[in-house]
Amino acid sequence: MPYWYYDKKDLQSTPSFRDGISNETENRYRKEGARFIIDTGSKMDLGYNTVATGVVYFHRFYMFHSFKTFPRYITACCCLFLAGKVEETPKKCKDIIKVAKSLLTEHKFATFGDDPKEEVMTLERILLQTIKFDLQVEHPYGYLLKYAKCLKGDKGKLQKMVQMAWTFVNDSLCTTLCLQWEPEVIAVALMFLAGKLSKFEVMDWNGRVPRHNAWWDMFVEDITMELLEDICHQVLDLYSPQPQSSGSDSPPLQTPNKQPKNEKKPLCVTPPTSVSPVAVTTKPVVTPIKNGSEVKIEPPKMEPLRYSYPPYPGLYPPVYTAPPPTIPPPPRLPITSGPPPGLVYTEPPPAPAARFPPVNVPPPNYFPPLPGRGPPPPGPPPRPYYPPP
Amino acid sequence: MQSVSAPREPTQPVISTSSTILNMREKEKYIEDFDFPFCDESSKYEKVAKIGQGTFGEVFKARARNSNKKFVAMKKVLMDNEKEGFPITALREIKILQLLKHENVVNLIEICRTKATLHNKYRSTFYLVFDFCEHDLAGLLSNVNVKFSLGEIKKVMQQLLNGLYYIHSNKILHRDMKAANVLITKNGILKLADFGLARAFSVAKSGQVNKYTNRVVTLWYRPPELLLGDRNYGPPVDMWGAGCIMAEMWTRSPIMQGPTEQQQLILISQLCGSCTPDVWPGVENLDLYNKMELPKGQKRKVKERLKPYVKDPYGCDLLDKLLQLDPAKRYDADTALNHDFFWTDPMPCDLANMLAQHTQSMFEYLAPPRRPGHLRHHHHVAGAQAKPSQPVQDSGYQDRVF
Repeated sequence: MPYWYYDKKDLQSTPSFRDGISNETENRYRKEGARFIIDTGSKMDLGYNTVATGVVYFHRFYMFHSFKTFPRYITACCCLFLAGKVEETPKKCKDIIKVAKSLLTEHKFATFGDDPKEEVMTLERILLQTIKFDLQVEHPYGYLLKYAKCLKGDKGKLQKMVQMAWTFVNDSLCTTLCLQWEPEVIAVALMFLAGKLSKFEVMDWNGRVPRHNAWWDMFVEDITMELLEDICHQVLDLYSPQPQSSGSDSPPLQTPNKQPKNEKKPLCVTPPTSVSPVAVTTKPVVTPIKNGSEVKIEPPKMEPLRYSYPPYPGLYPPVYTAPPPTIPPPPRLPITSGPPPGLVYTEPPPAPAARFPPVNVPPPNYFPPLPGRGPPPPGPPPRPYYPPP
Repeated sequence: MQSVSAPREPTQPVISTSSTILNMREKEKYIEDFDFPFCDESSKYEKVAKIGQGTFGEVFKARARNSNKKFVAMKKVLMDNEKEGFPITALREIKILQLLKHENVVNLIEICRTKATLHNKYRSTFYLVFDFCEHDLAGLLSNVNVKFSLGEIKKVMQQLLNGLYYIHSNKILHRDMKAANVLITKNGILKLADFGLARAFSVAKSGQVNKYTNRVVTLWYRPPELLLGDRNYGPPVDMWGAGCIMAEMWTRSPIMQGPTEQQQLILISQLCGSCTPDVWPGVENLDLYNKMELPKGQKRKVKERLKPYVKDPYGCDLLDKLLQLDPAKRYDADTALNHDFFWTDPMPCDLANMLAQHTQSMFEYLAPPRRPGHLRHHHHVAGAQAKPSQPVQDSGYQDRVF
């Protein structure tokens, strides 16, 4: 079986990077492609599993091909088309293209060529070969629910926490986390994050044994605080707007002469390298591990806390029922195209108003800073986030 | 590949002039030259002979070019006339074969491709590559020189039920059990094959009913619940097929060769008795219960009619348990494996010695038509063409009339 997990060095030296695309730009392309799959899938009433499978195909595809060779939006359509069949929720190719057209500017849709359906059909074979017909993909959602069932505590708070974690898992699709960690690990990390943010402290859980320090030790071995923080930060980085410093629009596109009228002023989401929280270079190298193997993780580098504004996700009103059957409404940080090249730097536009008023989510500065990004603790780091054994 | 064409806005320069992206020619070359690390070219194998026709394509015997002794079976994925790209049935089969790894399930080695060239419009053809098995059960049974002892029949059935136990434990239904889909290697190892109709199943929860298609299973092996329109079926559909195959080990041809669904139901009633709520509670709720002609007052004669062939009383009893009309009463694979049939003298005995006497590969596809079975003194259908009809058109039994 191919090994679908990469360390951060591999994630920097991708086919796109070797093709002259910066890591920041590639990350933006990945984010835009993933978001587009989510939006297209949601509009077609496809379930979260289908959407997530499509996004994983997308990320894997670009570990073998460059964004210059294969423009991202048509690849995204192809991934969703295949995922629909694999997850037994098939959609007609022409319907996916129709929705894609409605979501994209004319300019971007032009990358689909003269006969979009034929393009997708040809691309599907390339996709299948690239992903080694490794069709079945697992996602964090199932683990999230499984783990939540074991946690004890206030039912309402737990529900809230699960809801928030669910949203984080949705958003994590826009990162390359699925290329770094197994779904079990991502589920644990994002539940940990949601627990922090929703003030749900897990004091006890079913199946607890004395040697367990934290609830997740029951499910995945060798999860360190550093690893959890690294994963959480990769997701949180999605929510920090950064001025755009690099990266043109999709390579296959020429500079538009005019900013299309229907496009809002772009909200730049690609951070500049200088303060880049996304740029993997500034992060400690964490070697991905399979469960059970030795972990060797360097202490995280210092970085200023970035929890000012815009606030956290979960700003759509969490629905405190069962986990949502489909991907929730669009993100509060609409990812539009980047500014036309040439516009090198603009002040980051004001953060958009949240689509929905926050419900039960305290203002940003209420959130306790995540551990690990503050000053280094003297001596061995305390593990304050769960009760001592 | 027509590929990235220019944006249609006249104000924009055509894309192919851009230095940042590949033009059409470059892209075609890229696709042609790209060495997919996970998908080898099918030319690493050399076709030897066509050995069958699966649900979605031809099957070939082939030899690995790097080793004269290594043989494989290559199943072509038919993609012509596919409006929706790579067929969902092929995707299902691949997913299921990747999941199932067991001695009694055919092993998928890899998926190969032809090179994408101008000649095929830059679209590869795909082959599923399997370990080669020398025989299939239908081919063996059609050869009068192949004789199974009781111990060998037990070994065949034990392996078949082992395979079914494994796939059912993995929540997979085969849905096309028949002798031609049971492969046997020259070493006597049995492999369930052709998962082209297989699917995952879930145990129906209360208030939630599965809606699977009932247009599955070659007609002669189709259980009564499917013939009566059940769409919430499960593993018992494969167990019925196992029963039909088991009887065939002695009769040497399919025991109920109905030309139509209606006739198949009549044949079943004549062997297994009338389908009534008495013997099968709930049968009256099936969609086609009132739409099909169901013979009344038929007595169950499974043991009586099979005894002349089977002779072994344990064998007759197990057949009786597998050919139960009510799917809820039909033995599952586990229970069947615990039946005395497998635990009494003669014990199951290896097939390798018997097969060693036959050097020729035996496949139903290549075999002359089998002689009519012996259970035919009921219902000659004048002029009706025996055809196992849905869903598989190619069972090779077409020319036999019952």
